[in-house]
Amino acid sequence: MTPFWKWTIAVFLVLLLAAFLVLSKMAGSPKDVYGMVRYALPHMHRGTLKIGDDAPDARLVALDGSDHFHIRERTGGRPLVLIFGSYT
Amino acid sequence: MVEIYNDYKDHADFLTVYVREAHPTDEWQMKSNVKDDVCYAQPKTLGQRVAIANDFIKRFNYPIAFGIDDINNAANDAYSAWPERFYIIDESGRVAYRGGMGPFHYDPEEVRAWLAARYGAVKHDTPTPASPRPVASLSSRK
Repeated sequence: MTPFWKWTIAVFLVLLLAAFLVLSKMAGSPKDVYGMVRYALPHMHRGTLKIGDDAPDARLVALDGSDHFHIRERTGGRPLVLIFGSYT
Repeated sequence: MVEIYNDYKDHADFLTVYVREAHPTDEWQMKSNVKDDVCYAQPKTLGQRVAIANDFIKRFNYPIAFGIDDINNAANDAYSAWPERFYIIDESGRVAYRGGMGPFHYDPEEVRAWLAARYGAVKHDTPTPASPRPVASLSSRK
């Protein structure tokens, strides 16, 4: 194997290790890297909404599981703080 | 976040939008969730999502108004919200504040700062009771 390819492979492995270390730091531990890459990264999007844009509307379900309402029904008189998240 | 809600509920409305799970047992489960006994698979039906949301409400006696995203994740997609995010919609229905993407840029204090700039800061002389663990805020684990 020529020195060029040896160096190329070495640099590639160092970059791979560096990427793994960064991902481990982001995920919390090396064991969590797979979970983060497989399940989290595909669902994380910066989005395109900007300040000043019309707030999108969406239909939500009430806690009883049957009543519905829209986000925009709650806007108007006062500022509306939206808190997106989940239990887990 | 419940503290901010209590401080500013006379001036602004608050709505929690419950989205797809961040760390379900069948995807990327966190050890801290196991420790806290928060173990749920990713809901496949709306009924399952509603049930988990109700468990959260009951466990923490969560006082903020609640709406659950349909299983097609329309609200989540419209706001690029997953896993957690804040927005403030002003009186004209426009985005007035867009929070950073969670977990690293999810910052309730930015929401407080926006509300304080409008309605004044709320100071607490005495330590307030610990707020319930906010909806999927990984910052609560730091």
